[in-house]
Amino acid sequence: MEEYLNRGIKEIIKEFPKIGEILDGYGIGCAPCSVGTCLLKDIVEIHDLSPEDEQEMMGRIAGIIYPDRKMEIPLRKKKTHTNKEIKYSPPLKKLVDEHRLIKRWVALIPGIIKKVDVERADDRTLVLSGVEFIQQYADRYHHAKEEDILFKYFDEEQDVIKAMLEDHKKARSHVRALLKGLEERNNAAVKEHLRAYAELLTEHIKKEDEILYPWMDRQLTIGQIGTLFTKFGEVDMKHQDLHKNYEKIIDRFVTE
Amino acid sequence: MNGFNGCPGSKTMELRKNNEEEENTGKITSHLRQWPIQMHLISPTAPYYQGADVLLTADCVAYALGGFHRDYLKGKSIAIACPKLDEGQEMYVKKIKSWIEDAKINTLSVLIMQVPCCMGLVGLAREAARQSDRKIPIKQTVVGLEGDILKEEWLSA
Ligand SMILES: [Fe+2]
Ligand SMILES: [Fe+2]
Repeated sequence: MEEYLNRGIKEIIKEFPKIGEILDGYGIGCAPCSVGTCLLKDIVEIHDLSPEDEQEMMGRIAGIIYPDRKMEIPLRKKKTHTNKEIKYSPPLKKLVDEHRLIKRWVALIPGIIKKVDVERADDRTLVLSGVEFIQQYADRYHHAKEEDILFKYFDEEQDVIKAMLEDHKKARSHVRALLKGLEERNNAAVKEHLRAYAELLTEHIKKEDEILYPWMDRQLTIGQIGTLFTKFGEVDMKHQDLHKNYEKIIDRFVTE
Repeated sequence: MNGFNGCPGSKTMELRKNNEEEENTGKITSHLRQWPIQMHLISPTAPYYQGADVLLTADCVAYALGGFHRDYLKGKSIAIACPKLDEGQEMYVKKIKSWIEDAKINTLSVLIMQVPCCMGLVGLAREAARQSDRKIPIKQTVVGLEGDILKEEWLSA
């Protein structure tokens, strides 16, 4: 079993597709992940199942890998197990609140896709204002907090972090393609990259809210939580009205 | 009859007697790095509070929590108080506010016992935080009579 705990999940699922289904049953959606290099043992650690669920799941996985060996999976005692509503530390709660605004913008995208026609100047302005939000708020403000501050508290060579950075990069490339589509008056390209951006960010935020941040909260010391909070506060001071302004803009968007 | 049936904070209870098997041998290091520690005696701007992670601990906690020094006090500064018996607690609010605003402490951890009167200490910390312009993360930890951690949660910053 040890050998498999230290293997990348994509590789394991490729060899034993049934394991992807088992993980899925416990709310661990690794099968469709675009990266999939996380080690099985890290995935188990990060998802923080209850000791009983973890024991049961590992038993079923062992049964798939070694169908003719009877394996006893011990019940693992754990320090923290957060099953109910997630309670974030104050700095991570700030990021979750920022996600909320990003999600509100993402929720508007399907409506925009339906009616947008890049031949019309008004529609181009509309898409550009959305791009501006993505660049100013989602990327230069929020993703920068993650990349320049939060992730620095962790080993960035870890696959979980690499997967998040990869998502940020993909988001940027969709924005570039979107701008190119606007310039070339290519309706199909604009719609396609808006759709892809919305899909990517929805998944990305869900991963961060439900898995990455709670895991990070369990790793950080109280001293680190304090300095993280201060550093985020300094960034917020520099971008004082950014959040409020975009909140207003999105409110207006919704009513229009 | 087991004690009296009034306030659960002072109800008489006998806890486990046999824990010789976990006795450590050898000297256990103290992690206390300051004096004084009583809330009326401390100065909130003393050097060891500057930018520190501070524990505000109910008096009884250190006796109940077996690993207090190693798991909680280590690397932190401390003040102790009893929210049930101490007088002049308005002064405590002022001192906590001064920790946050003047000593610019990094975090505040409030450690209390599970008895209801202990919640008063969390109330003092909340009030001081409300009065402060500077915000910091504040954590509340509730310790059971048998030294177990019953609850650990962040109060909103
Ligand atoms: Fe992110
Ligand atoms: Fe994020």
